[in-house]
Amino acid sequence: MTTLIQCPACQAWLLEGVFNRPELSPCPACGVPLQVEVFPALFRRSHPGQSGETILVEGESSCFYHPQKKAVLPCEGCGRFLCALCDCELNGQHFCPACLETGITKGKIKSLENQRTLYDGIALSLAIYPLLIFYFTLVTAPVALFVAIRYWNAPRSIVHRTKVRYVAAIVLASMQIAGWGLLFISLAGRHRP
Amino acid sequence: MPEKEYQRLTRARSRSVFGAVAVSRSSLWLGKDHLLCIDSSGYTETYKRFYFRDIQVITLVATKRRAVWNGVLVVPIVLCLAGLANALFSLPEATNPAIITWTILTVIFLAPLLINNLMGPACTGYLRTAVQIEELPSLSRLPRARKALERIRPSIVGVQGALSPDEISARIRAAATGSGAASSPPAANMPGGPPAVS
Repeated sequence: MTTLIQCPACQAWLLEGVFNRPELSPCPACGVPLQVEVFPALFRRSHPGQSGETILVEGESSCFYHPQKKAVLPCEGCGRFLCALCDCELNGQHFCPACLETGITKGKIKSLENQRTLYDGIALSLAIYPLLIFYFTLVTAPVALFVAIRYWNAPRSIVHRTKVRYVAAIVLASMQIAGWGLLFISLAGRHRP
Repeated sequence: MPEKEYQRLTRARSRSVFGAVAVSRSSLWLGKDHLLCIDSSGYTETYKRFYFRDIQVITLVATKRRAVWNGVLVVPIVLCLAGLANALFSLPEATNPAIITWTILTVIFLAPLLINNLMGPACTGYLRTAVQIEELPSLSRLPRARKALERIRPSIVGVQGALSPDEISARIRAAATGSGAASSPPAANMPGGPPAVS
Protein backbone atom coordinates (compact mmCIF):
# COMPACT_ATOMS: atom_id res chain seq x y z
CA MET A 1 0.00 0.00 0.00
CA THR A 2 1.11 3.56 -0.62
CA THR A 3 1.19 6.42 1.84
CA LEU A 4 -1.76 7.95 -0.01
CA ILE A 5 -5.28 7.84 1.36
CA GLN A 6 -8.47 7.45 -0.63
CA CYS A 7 -11.97 8.65 0.14
CA PRO A 8 -13.87 5.42 0.93
CA ALA A 9 -16.94 6.81 -0.85
CA CYS A 10 -15.54 8.05 -4.19
CA GLN A 11 -12.01 6.56 -4.15
CA ALA A 12 -10.47 9.96 -4.86
CA TRP A 13 -7.10 10.72 -3.34
CA LEU A 14 -7.25 12.82 -0.22
CA LEU A 15 -4.38 15.25 -0.20
CA GLU A 16 -5.11 17.86 2.46
CA GLY A 17 -7.71 19.60 4.58
CA VAL A 18 -9.35 16.49 6.03
CA PHE A 19 -6.63 14.93 8.18
CA ASN A 20 -6.85 14.83 11.98
CA ARG A 21 -9.62 17.43 12.15
CA PRO A 22 -11.84 17.34 15.22
CA GLU A 23 -14.99 17.54 13.07
CA LEU A 24 -16.18 15.92 9.86
CA SER A 25 -14.75 17.58 6.76
CA PRO A 26 -16.18 17.17 3.26
CA CYS A 27 -14.26 15.09 0.76
CA PRO A 28 -12.85 17.56 -1.79
CA ALA A 29 -14.05 15.35 -4.64
CA CYS A 30 -17.49 14.03 -3.66
CA GLY A 31 -18.40 16.18 -0.65
CA VAL A 32 -19.17 13.24 1.63
CA PRO A 33 -18.39 14.24 5.23
CA LEU A 34 -15.52 12.25 6.66
CA GLN A 35 -13.07 12.26 9.52
CA VAL A 36 -9.62 10.89 8.80
CA GLU A 37 -7.26 10.15 11.67
CA VAL A 38 -3.75 9.62 10.37
CA PHE A 39 -0.98 8.15 12.52
CA PRO A 40 2.79 8.14 11.98
CA ALA A 41 2.77 4.43 11.03
CA LEU A 42 1.49 5.52 7.61
CA PHE A 43 4.85 7.08 6.82
CA ARG A 44 6.98 4.37 8.36
CA ARG A 45 9.22 2.54 5.94
CA SER A 46 8.89 -1.22 6.11
CA HIS A 47 12.10 -3.00 7.02
CA PRO A 48 13.49 -5.46 4.48
CA GLY A 49 13.29 -9.09 5.65
CA GLN A 50 16.38 -10.59 7.22
CA SER A 51 17.98 -13.58 5.55
CA GLY A 52 20.31 -14.81 8.30
CA GLU A 53 24.06 -14.49 8.50
CA THR A 54 26.19 -17.26 7.04
CA ILE A 55 28.63 -19.01 9.40
CA LEU A 56 32.18 -17.99 8.64
CA VAL A 57 34.06 -19.37 11.66
CA GLU A 58 33.91 -23.10 12.31
CA GLY A 59 32.36 -24.06 15.65
CA GLU A 60 29.92 -21.14 15.78
CA SER A 61 26.39 -21.94 16.91
CA SER A 62 24.18 -22.62 13.94
CA CYS A 63 20.45 -22.43 13.32
CA PHE A 64 18.54 -25.68 13.96
CA TYR A 65 16.68 -25.33 10.66
CA HIS A 66 19.56 -23.85 8.60
CA PRO A 67 22.87 -25.40 9.71
CA GLN A 68 24.83 -23.04 7.44
CA LYS A 69 23.31 -19.94 9.10
CA LYS A 70 24.53 -18.32 12.30
CA ALA A 71 22.22 -18.68 15.35
CA VAL A 72 21.18 -15.36 16.83
CA LEU A 73 18.84 -16.43 19.65
CA PRO A 74 17.02 -19.45 21.07
CA CYS A 75 13.30 -20.16 20.55
CA GLU A 76 11.36 -19.34 23.73
CA GLY A 77 9.08 -22.28 23.10
CA CYS A 78 11.47 -25.17 22.46
CA GLY A 79 14.92 -23.70 23.04
CA ARG A 80 16.24 -24.48 19.56
CA PHE A 81 18.79 -22.08 18.14
CA LEU A 82 17.42 -19.85 15.43
CA CYS A 83 18.92 -17.68 12.70
CA ALA A 84 17.48 -14.27 11.84
CA LEU A 85 15.39 -15.86 9.10
CA CYS A 86 13.67 -18.33 11.44
CA ASP A 87 13.15 -15.87 14.28
CA CYS A 88 9.42 -15.03 14.54
CA GLU A 89 8.92 -12.19 16.99
CA LEU A 90 5.58 -11.91 18.71
CA ASN A 91 4.98 -9.25 21.34
CA GLY A 92 8.63 -9.27 22.39
CA GLN A 93 8.87 -13.08 22.45
CA HIS A 94 10.85 -15.06 19.90
CA PHE A 95 9.58 -18.36 18.52
CA CYS A 96 10.57 -20.76 15.79
CA PRO A 97 8.01 -21.37 13.00
CA ALA A 98 7.16 -24.81 14.42
CA CYS A 99 6.36 -23.47 17.90
CA LEU A 100 4.34 -20.66 16.35
CA GLU A 101 2.33 -23.20 14.36
CA THR A 102 1.79 -25.32 17.48
CA GLY A 103 0.79 -22.20 19.38
CA ILE A 104 -1.86 -21.41 16.78
CA THR A 105 -3.27 -24.91 16.43
CA LYS A 106 -3.30 -25.77 20.13
CA GLY A 107 -4.23 -22.26 21.31
CA LYS A 108 -1.16 -22.08 23.55
CA ILE A 109 -0.28 -18.53 22.51
CA LYS A 110 -3.26 -16.41 23.48
CA SER A 111 -2.38 -13.50 21.23
CA LEU A 112 -2.55 -15.81 18.20
CA GLU A 113 -5.90 -17.28 19.11
CA ASN A 114 -8.42 -16.12 16.53
CA GLN A 115 -11.48 -18.23 17.26
CA ARG A 116 -13.32 -19.71 20.21
CA THR A 117 -16.42 -21.82 20.53
CA LEU A 118 -18.86 -20.49 23.11
CA TYR A 119 -20.12 -23.66 24.74
CA ASP A 120 -22.04 -21.66 27.34
CA GLY A 121 -24.05 -20.03 24.55
CA ILE A 122 -24.67 -23.41 22.93
CA ALA A 123 -25.83 -24.95 26.23
CA LEU A 124 -28.17 -22.04 26.96
CA SER A 125 -29.62 -22.11 23.45
CA LEU A 126 -30.24 -25.83 23.77
CA ALA A 127 -32.07 -25.16 27.01
CA ILE A 128 -34.19 -22.22 25.79
CA TYR A 129 -35.07 -22.41 22.08
CA PRO A 130 -36.58 -25.94 22.10
CA LEU A 131 -39.12 -24.67 24.66
CA LEU A 132 -41.01 -23.21 21.68
CA ILE A 133 -41.86 -26.78 20.69
CA PHE A 134 -41.81 -28.45 24.08
CA TYR A 135 -41.53 -32.02 22.81
CA PHE A 136 -37.99 -31.32 21.57
CA THR A 137 -36.85 -30.73 25.15
CA LEU A 138 -37.07 -34.46 25.76
CA VAL A 139 -33.88 -34.73 23.69
CA THR A 140 -32.34 -31.27 23.99
CA ALA A 141 -32.54 -30.89 27.80
CA PRO A 142 -30.15 -33.81 28.49
CA VAL A 143 -27.90 -32.57 25.69
CA ALA A 144 -27.87 -29.06 27.18
CA LEU A 145 -27.05 -30.50 30.59
CA PHE A 146 -24.25 -32.61 29.10
CA VAL A 147 -22.74 -29.66 27.22
CA ALA A 148 -22.90 -27.42 30.30
CA ILE A 149 -21.18 -29.98 32.54
CA ARG A 150 -18.72 -31.32 29.95
CA TYR A 151 -17.46 -27.85 28.98
CA TRP A 152 -17.79 -26.18 32.41
CA ASN A 153 -14.05 -25.46 32.47
CA ALA A 154 -13.60 -24.82 28.75
CA PRO A 155 -12.38 -21.32 27.82
CA ARG A 156 -15.27 -18.92 27.42
CA SER A 157 -15.24 -15.66 25.49
CA ILE A 158 -11.86 -13.90 25.42
CA VAL A 159 -13.55 -10.88 26.97
CA HIS A 160 -15.14 -11.32 30.35
CA ARG A 161 -17.95 -13.76 30.56
CA THR A 162 -19.18 -15.32 33.73
CA LYS A 163 -20.54 -18.85 34.12
CA VAL A 164 -24.07 -17.53 34.48
CA ARG A 165 -25.07 -19.02 31.10
CA TYR A 166 -23.89 -22.45 32.17
CA VAL A 167 -25.80 -22.11 35.46
CA ALA A 168 -28.95 -20.94 33.65
CA ALA A 169 -28.63 -23.80 31.15
CA ILE A 170 -28.20 -26.37 33.93
CA VAL A 171 -31.17 -25.01 35.91
CA LEU A 172 -33.46 -24.86 32.87
CA ALA A 173 -32.40 -28.26 31.53
CA SER A 174 -32.80 -29.83 34.98
CA MET A 175 -36.31 -28.37 35.28
CA GLN A 176 -37.23 -29.73 31.85
CA ILE A 177 -35.86 -33.18 32.71
CA ALA A 178 -37.71 -33.08 36.03
CA GLY A 179 -40.89 -32.07 34.20
CA TRP A 180 -40.56 -35.00 31.79
CA GLY A 181 -39.80 -37.30 34.71
CA LEU A 182 -42.94 -36.22 36.57
CA LEU A 183 -45.00 -36.62 33.39
CA PHE A 184 -43.75 -40.17 32.83
CA ILE A 185 -44.32 -41.07 36.51
CA SER A 186 -47.90 -39.75 36.41
CA LEU A 187 -48.55 -41.60 33.12
CA ALA A 188 -47.15 -44.79 34.58
CA GLY A 189 -49.33 -44.33 37.66
CA ARG A 190 -52.43 -43.86 35.52
CA HIS A 191 -51.89 -47.10 33.58
CA ARG A 192 -51.19 -49.14 36.71
CA PRO A 193 -54.07 -51.56 37.42
CA MET B 1 -10.12 -7.51 41.80
CA PRO B 2 -7.79 -8.15 38.81
CA GLU B 3 -7.62 -5.53 36.10
CA LYS B 4 -9.72 -6.36 33.06
CA GLU B 5 -7.70 -7.36 30.02
CA TYR B 6 -10.11 -5.70 27.61
CA GLN B 7 -12.32 -2.66 27.94
CA ARG B 8 -15.45 -2.42 25.83
CA LEU B 9 -15.39 0.35 23.25
CA THR B 10 -18.60 -0.37 21.41
CA ARG B 11 -21.55 -2.67 21.82
CA ALA B 12 -22.03 -5.48 19.33
CA ARG B 13 -23.40 -4.33 16.01
CA SER B 14 -24.47 -6.33 13.03
CA ARG B 15 -22.22 -6.57 10.00
CA SER B 16 -25.20 -6.33 7.65
CA VAL B 17 -27.72 -3.54 7.04
CA PHE B 18 -30.54 -5.68 8.39
CA GLY B 19 -29.09 -5.81 11.86
CA ALA B 20 -32.14 -7.19 13.62
CA VAL B 21 -32.12 -10.43 11.66
CA ALA B 22 -28.37 -10.79 11.16
CA VAL B 23 -26.58 -13.54 13.05
CA SER B 24 -23.01 -12.22 13.07
CA ARG B 25 -22.36 -9.24 15.30
CA SER B 26 -19.20 -7.24 15.69
CA SER B 27 -17.86 -5.37 18.71
CA LEU B 28 -14.70 -3.44 19.46
CA TRP B 29 -12.54 -3.80 22.57
CA LEU B 30 -9.53 -1.92 23.82
CA GLY B 31 -6.59 -4.05 24.92
CA LYS B 32 -3.24 -3.16 26.45
CA ASP B 33 -1.40 -2.93 23.15
CA HIS B 34 -4.06 -3.61 20.54
CA LEU B 35 -7.64 -3.16 19.42
CA LEU B 36 -9.70 -6.33 19.40
CA CYS B 37 -12.54 -6.71 16.91
CA ILE B 38 -14.82 -9.61 17.87
CA ASP B 39 -17.22 -11.11 15.35
CA SER B 40 -19.65 -13.27 17.24
CA SER B 41 -22.36 -15.59 16.00
CA GLY B 42 -23.49 -16.39 19.53
CA TYR B 43 -21.83 -19.81 19.36
CA THR B 44 -18.40 -18.90 18.04
CA GLU B 45 -16.25 -15.82 18.26
CA THR B 46 -13.67 -14.72 15.72
CA TYR B 47 -10.97 -12.32 16.82
CA LYS B 48 -9.02 -9.74 14.85
CA ARG B 49 -6.26 -7.84 16.58
CA PHE B 50 -5.00 -4.50 15.40
CA TYR B 51 -1.82 -3.55 17.24
CA PHE B 52 -1.46 0.14 18.04
CA ARG B 53 1.97 0.26 16.39
CA ASP B 54 0.45 -0.96 13.08
CA ILE B 55 -2.62 1.28 12.80
CA GLN B 56 -2.05 3.82 10.04
CA VAL B 57 -5.41 5.47 9.47
CA ILE B 58 -8.88 5.39 11.01
CA THR B 59 -11.58 6.85 8.80
CA LEU B 60 -15.18 7.67 9.66
CA VAL B 61 -17.44 8.29 6.69
CA ALA B 62 -20.90 9.77 7.21
CA THR B 63 -23.62 7.72 5.54
CA LYS B 64 -27.32 8.23 4.84
CA ARG B 65 -28.39 5.12 6.74
CA ARG B 66 -30.28 7.08 9.40
CA ALA B 67 -32.23 9.05 6.76
CA VAL B 68 -33.01 5.86 4.85
CA TRP B 69 -34.35 4.12 7.96
CA ASN B 70 -36.34 7.24 8.85
CA GLY B 71 -37.90 7.12 5.38
CA VAL B 72 -38.67 3.42 5.72
CA LEU B 73 -40.26 3.83 9.16
CA VAL B 74 -42.22 7.02 8.50
CA VAL B 75 -44.48 5.36 5.91
CA PRO B 76 -46.04 2.76 8.27
CA ILE B 77 -46.20 5.35 11.06
CA VAL B 78 -48.22 7.71 8.86
CA LEU B 79 -50.51 4.83 7.87
CA CYS B 80 -50.96 3.79 11.51
CA LEU B 81 -51.63 7.37 12.59
CA ALA B 82 -54.20 7.67 9.81
CA GLY B 83 -55.83 4.48 11.03
CA LEU B 84 -55.77 5.77 14.59
CA ALA B 85 -57.29 9.10 13.56
CA ASN B 86 -59.91 7.23 11.57
CA ALA B 87 -60.75 5.09 14.60
CA LEU B 88 -60.89 8.12 16.89
CA PHE B 89 -62.80 10.65 14.81
CA SER B 90 -64.31 9.27 11.62
CA LEU B 91 -66.05 6.33 13.16
CA PRO B 92 -67.93 7.37 16.27
CA GLU B 93 -69.00 3.80 16.73
CA ALA B 94 -65.39 2.61 16.73
CA THR B 95 -64.65 0.35 19.58
CA ASN B 96 -61.77 0.51 21.99
CA PRO B 97 -60.01 -2.52 20.42
CA ALA B 98 -59.57 -0.63 17.15
CA ILE B 99 -58.02 2.34 18.94
CA ILE B 100 -55.79 0.08 21.02
CA THR B 101 -54.68 -1.90 17.96
CA TRP B 102 -53.74 1.23 15.98
CA THR B 103 -51.98 2.72 19.02
CA ILE B 104 -49.92 -0.44 19.52
CA LEU B 105 -49.00 -0.56 15.83
CA THR B 106 -47.97 3.12 15.92
CA VAL B 107 -45.78 2.52 18.95
CA ILE B 108 -44.20 -0.53 17.32
CA PHE B 109 -42.99 1.59 14.41
CA LEU B 110 -42.39 4.75 16.44
CA ALA B 111 -39.96 3.12 18.89
CA PRO B 112 -37.33 2.17 16.26
CA LEU B 113 -37.75 5.60 14.66
CA LEU B 114 -36.96 7.26 17.99
CA ILE B 115 -34.03 4.94 18.66
CA ASN B 116 -32.70 5.53 15.15
CA ASN B 117 -32.68 9.29 15.73
CA LEU B 118 -31.46 9.19 19.32
CA MET B 119 -28.39 7.18 18.28
CA GLY B 120 -27.25 10.07 16.10
CA PRO B 121 -26.00 10.30 12.52
CA ALA B 122 -24.86 7.09 10.88
CA CYS B 123 -21.34 6.45 9.69
CA THR B 124 -19.01 3.68 8.60
CA GLY B 125 -15.63 3.17 10.22
CA TYR B 126 -12.54 1.89 8.47
CA LEU B 127 -9.19 0.96 9.92
CA ARG B 128 -6.09 0.79 7.76
CA THR B 129 -2.82 -0.96 8.45
CA ALA B 130 0.10 -1.61 6.10
CA VAL B 131 -1.59 -4.70 4.67
CA GLN B 132 -5.35 -4.28 5.00
CA ILE B 133 -8.31 -1.94 5.11
CA GLU B 134 -10.84 -3.34 7.57
CA GLU B 135 -14.38 -2.13 8.00
CA LEU B 136 -15.40 -1.77 11.65
CA PRO B 137 -19.16 -2.38 11.70
CA SER B 138 -19.46 -1.44 15.36
CA LEU B 139 -18.48 2.15 14.54
CA SER B 140 -21.84 2.67 12.90
CA ARG B 141 -23.02 5.83 14.64
CA LEU B 142 -21.02 9.02 14.74
CA PRO B 143 -21.34 9.91 18.45
CA ARG B 144 -20.34 6.42 19.53
CA ALA B 145 -17.57 6.21 16.93
CA ARG B 146 -16.13 9.52 18.09
CA LYS B 147 -16.28 8.42 21.70
CA ALA B 148 -14.42 5.22 20.77
CA LEU B 149 -11.89 7.21 18.74
CA GLU B 150 -11.24 9.49 21.71
CA ARG B 151 -10.31 6.42 23.75
CA ILE B 152 -8.24 4.77 21.02
CA ARG B 153 -6.25 7.84 19.98
CA PRO B 154 -4.16 8.28 23.18
CA SER B 155 -3.10 4.62 23.06
CA ILE B 156 -1.95 4.89 19.44
CA VAL B 157 -0.28 8.26 19.99
CA GLY B 158 1.43 6.80 23.05
CA VAL B 159 3.02 4.13 20.88
CA GLN B 160 3.57 5.99 17.59
CA GLY B 161 3.69 9.66 18.55
CA ALA B 162 1.55 12.43 17.08
CA LEU B 163 1.51 14.34 13.81
CA SER B 164 0.01 17.77 13.20
CA PRO B 165 -2.57 18.12 10.38
CA ASP B 166 -0.19 20.37 8.40
CA GLU B 167 2.66 17.90 8.72
CA ILE B 168 0.44 15.08 7.49
CA SER B 169 -0.78 17.11 4.52
CA ALA B 170 2.79 18.05 3.61
CA ARG B 171 4.02 14.44 3.76
CA ILE B 172 1.04 13.11 1.82
CA ARG B 173 1.46 15.85 -0.80
CA ALA B 174 5.10 14.88 -1.10
CA ALA B 175 4.15 11.24 -1.55
CA ALA B 176 1.45 12.19 -4.07
CA THR B 177 3.88 14.31 -6.07
CA GLY B 178 6.32 11.45 -6.07
CA SER B 179 3.78 8.98 -7.42
CA GLY B 180 1.97 11.46 -9.68
CA ALA B 181 -1.33 11.15 -7.83
CA ALA B 182 -1.91 14.89 -7.64
CA SER B 183 -2.45 15.11 -11.36
CA SER B 184 -4.66 12.01 -11.71
CA PRO B 185 -6.96 11.52 -8.72
CA PRO B 186 -9.08 8.52 -9.84
CA ALA B 187 -7.71 5.52 -8.01
CA ALA B 188 -8.86 3.02 -10.59
CA ASN B 189 -6.38 4.44 -13.10
CA MET B 190 -3.56 4.56 -10.62
CA PRO B 191 -1.01 1.77 -10.89
CA GLY B 192 0.15 0.68 -7.48
CA GLY B 193 -2.65 2.54 -5.74
CA PRO B 194 -4.28 1.08 -2.65
CA PRO B 195 -7.17 -1.32 -3.21
CA ALA B 196 -10.64 0.15 -3.31
CA VAL B 197 -12.69 0.04 -0.14
CA SER B 198 -15.96 -1.70 -0.81
